[in-house]
Amino acid sequence: MSLLWHFINGLAQIVPMATSKKVITREEWEKKLNDVRIRKEDMNKLVMNFLVTEGYVEAAEKFRKESGTDPDIDLATITDRMAVKKAVQAGNVEDAIEKVNDLNPEILDTNPQLFFHLQQQRLIELIRNGKVEEALEFAQEELAPRGEENQSFLEELEKTVALLAFEDVSNCPIGELLDVSQRLKTASEVNAAILTSQSHEKDPKLPSLLKMLLWAQNQLGEKAVYPRINDLSTATLEDPAV
Amino acid sequence: MPASASSPPPPPPPTNSRHEDLIGRLSSSSTHAKLKALRDLKNQIIGNRTKKLCFLKLGAVPPITSILSSAAGGGDDAELNVSLIIQSAAAIGSFACGFDDGVKAVLDAGVFNILLSLISYPNDKVVSAAARSLKFIYQSKLAPRYDFLQGNNMEFIQSLLNSENENVTGLGASIITHSCQTNMQQKALSDTGIIKKLICMLGGSVTQKEASLESLATILKGNPDVILKFMEPENGGALGTVNELTKDKNARTRLLACMCLIVIRNSSPSCLQDLRIKTKLILILLELLEDDQVGDEAPFALSSLIAEKEDLQVLAFEANVIDKLVNHLRKGPLLSRRLEGILIALANMCSRLERCRDRLLSLEAMKFVTDALSQDSGEVRAAACICLKNVSRSVKNLSAGLFMNENFVVPLVRLLFDDLTFVQVSALDAISNIVVDFLAHKKIFMQCGGVKQLVQLSKSMDSTIRVKAVCALRNLTFLVNDQCKEEILSELTQLTLGSLICDPETCVQEQSLSLVRNLVDGPLDSIQHVFAEDALLLHAVGQQLQSASKAEVLIQGMYVFTNVASGNEVHKEAVMQELFPPLANDSESVMLKFLHSDDSRLRTAAVWALVNLTFPSSSGAFGRVMKLRNAGVVSQLKNMVNDPCLDVKLRARTALGQSMTSDDGST
Repeated sequence: MSLLWHFINGLAQIVPMATSKKVITREEWEKKLNDVRIRKEDMNKLVMNFLVTEGYVEAAEKFRKESGTDPDIDLATITDRMAVKKAVQAGNVEDAIEKVNDLNPEILDTNPQLFFHLQQQRLIELIRNGKVEEALEFAQEELAPRGEENQSFLEELEKTVALLAFEDVSNCPIGELLDVSQRLKTASEVNAAILTSQSHEKDPKLPSLLKMLLWAQNQLGEKAVYPRINDLSTATLEDPAV
Repeated sequence: MPASASSPPPPPPPTNSRHEDLIGRLSSSSTHAKLKALRDLKNQIIGNRTKKLCFLKLGAVPPITSILSSAAGGGDDAELNVSLIIQSAAAIGSFACGFDDGVKAVLDAGVFNILLSLISYPNDKVVSAAARSLKFIYQSKLAPRYDFLQGNNMEFIQSLLNSENENVTGLGASIITHSCQTNMQQKALSDTGIIKKLICMLGGSVTQKEASLESLATILKGNPDVILKFMEPENGGALGTVNELTKDKNARTRLLACMCLIVIRNSSPSCLQDLRIKTKLILILLELLEDDQVGDEAPFALSSLIAEKEDLQVLAFEANVIDKLVNHLRKGPLLSRRLEGILIALANMCSRLERCRDRLLSLEAMKFVTDALSQDSGEVRAAACICLKNVSRSVKNLSAGLFMNENFVVPLVRLLFDDLTFVQVSALDAISNIVVDFLAHKKIFMQCGGVKQLVQLSKSMDSTIRVKAVCALRNLTFLVNDQCKEEILSELTQLTLGSLICDPETCVQEQSLSLVRNLVDGPLDSIQHVFAEDALLLHAVGQQLQSASKAEVLIQGMYVFTNVASGNEVHKEAVMQELFPPLANDSESVMLKFLHSDDSRLRTAAVWALVNLTFPSSSGAFGRVMKLRNAGVVSQLKNMVNDPCLDVKLRARTALGQSMTSDDGST
């Protein structure tokens, strides 16, 4: 019996008094940070990875010369990819399609969703330019078959075609399709598909790192009060509110 | 004054004529015009199945092939030539991409060998274009099977896998995946070190990993020797590499890695026995179910993992597979492939374990199954039937009469009329189980016109359909009341049943005899059925007993006689007549054949019949015993009092005892 009591007493002492969070001052924090070693090469690689994935060819080239960091893909392929992205962003979808097919004819043949989105963008551009008859014909000849081939596109298809019903397209409820952001979305999708086909990661590493930082800060915030980085663009430490 | 009206602008030329125009330009004398037309066409068809079909029908493939063929042969302007080759190869490739009609057209046009020869062309872009197109062709089941064992073909594959060009190595792997079918081919590929090359590819890009995993699975499938070699240390822990790939970032890579491990496990059961690996595979496949890209295929992989393996079904059950699959059904509506996959996975889970069936029923998931019975896709309908068949193996629920209601019966009976044979077959299987209903609430099945259609199908030319239809009728007749028996017989007719007993297929004979056995089982009146129309059925059974050789047929026949012999004097005498026909020659009687048989089932059936025939309180027992004694049956019974089979031993002693009693009763 006494053995049991000792055991229970022991347990009672292990449980901590969890009433207030630990406080870490800016001095303590900065000291701890200074002790962490980061390699220059790793940072360079991160920057190069960002430039290459996003498609900043000239910047990547310059950075390669100045830092001696090797890009993980051939910079020449970036130029082709950027041409496609720019074409979509400018609304020249037909041109973009031709370029993608020259780069790699497999991409659009094996990515039905991407192909549908490109066709959809073509229709949006025709409507934006007021070419209603051409738009109607295009919708019937090119877009409708996509819906027949694949039922999962039907909903989006109907939404897009509905644009044709509105006289004042800029003010209709689905007007967001006409927004430039739609072009950027499509452009991003094409970019990702090309990167994947070249066996490159379609997302740069930098955003993941920043996400991890924010998450880790929140986790720590549950247990301690410490200087946080709230503005990612300046990365300044802000004093903890005590 | 003549009315003047301006004429409306001419309508744009109809689509078809524009397309024909484009095809016409492919035969233009100007090379530049040809090139432009090629590019135009290529850009129109890539990603666009409707256009592919359209151009195909208008005959676009032959002119493209001739451009490719002549450009491949060389021309004046090298650069232009290369462009022509690349564009035409790309167009051909696009026609073949995921499109069987296109593959057929392309093969018919004779483009295959041209593309093959271009693999060694001195221009990387040309090689890539040709390799891609060939890869698409090889992804179709219409592609010609590559003969690895002939001539230099193996060296060619090796050269493909050695290439620096990723499209070419991918092609090599595709050819293997498509063409490797026999154990001999697998061994040959393994012996020439191709497996080593594929293992190297596992460390390459995403495309290489995936192509390699598929090829490896094909080479290892069903071949324990090749698997053993695969796992040798000289291959540098290949199994470990594949295992690692089940955690790869890319969903499709994870799926293919799992499928490879499953193939290894199924082909060589001593491998991958670790409980953790088995559980992990199940969990990864469950997680892959959520993925947009590969979610459709994941349940099929899960099915191949658990099929026929109770231990894995138990593990899967504990991992809550049933709940998770049902959750997916609830999210619906699902596209056909995914629905089919989930139903097949559920069917496999319920194939042996009662706890799985219980769980599925308790989740009220059967409505998804019954809905699926009316789906557009034949594969989905069949999958729903298989699921239902497996769930209805639950004796507990059959006894409770769970399945004999409109929700199940109506759609199932409708499927008996299905256009697709494989759907009919699955429906018959499900019905066969459901009609075993121990509460004998079979009325509803008959009201739905089920009997009529089963009888129709029992006359089918297809022997599979015939045997399953008769099996369903047999199960329907099990423990059913007299009124139902009358209805079934009036639909089936004595004549049809008689001819089914003598069907050319022995399995049909067996089911038909079993049906008769069920008919005469029960109250005394039931026995009358075999005496109708001049004892048509009785004679048919007797005939089969004399002529059949397959044990299962003979057993059922003898049990029919056993049941008939449980009746009155007339019945017993009739059986004696059949078993010991008056005009028989000296050859051994059927009864003695049974009693002498090595097969205990035949001996058992025979002694049961004898128990009924020698039953002492019947007036004619003495006469029958005399006959049996004269036929040497009684002395044979004496030899069987210590038969190794307990059933035989006990019945033989009973029959013998009864024979002695009858004797003693005589004066």
